Amino acid sequence: MDSILTELESIFRDILDRPDLVLTPESNANNVEDWDSLAHINLVSAIEKHYKIKFALGELQELKNVGDMIALIEVKLAAK
Amino acid sequence: MMEYTWNDLHVGLRHEFEASFTAQSASIFAALSGDMNPLHVDEAYAVSAGFPAPVLFGMLTSSLYSRLVGIYLPGKYGLLQGIDLDFSSPSYAGDQLRVAGEITHMTEAYQRFEIKATIRRSDGKLISKATIRVGFYVG
Repeated sequence: MDSILTELESIFRDILDRPDLVLTPESNANNVEDWDSLAHINLVSAIEKHYKIKFALGELQELKNVGDMIALIEVKLAAK
Repeated sequence: MMEYTWNDLHVGLRHEFEASFTAQSASIFAALSGDMNPLHVDEAYAVSAGFPAPVLFGMLTSSLYSRLVGIYLPGKYGLLQGIDLDFSSPSYAGDQLRVAGEITHMTEAYQRFEIKATIRRSDGKLISKATIRVGFYVG
């Protein structure tokens, strides 16, 4: 989980242009500045490309925070 | 104008077209943008700076990426959402420019895709390259 969190932090820093952003499993769109709807699409697209995985809309709608996203990524990587 | 629907699109789908700009195009762009830098509009200055002619504005030639999305890939139902752009070489009025773009990634969940695109002169010289993010809607 820690390594995915570190990789996500790098992706978020790049997409949100926030080089000092510290991401935690509790991070979500409400407590991370500039994480708006278009940024969210950019984040999902970047994560898909980074891990070579695909998300379904329903899966994404279930996510409440970065910790949930990490868990979903782990499931998808394990299924590859 | 193309009217691709989301289901028509796939990674590898590609379009190309050719275009050119005149010195008048550059003058109009200078007036519209307010960028009156002499390198782009003053022939004597451009030559003194070591260029054969005024250099076309990079943002003018890059407007062809807007045409690529709005007319060809996907055409009517596309909405340009973002672009990462690098300029590689100058181009000049009268140059025949070939614009080529190919879908390289599709984010199914949000019906959004990415295009890798280039603009090259007729001799193959790379003028610019871009990664374009395109939203999709059915009007």
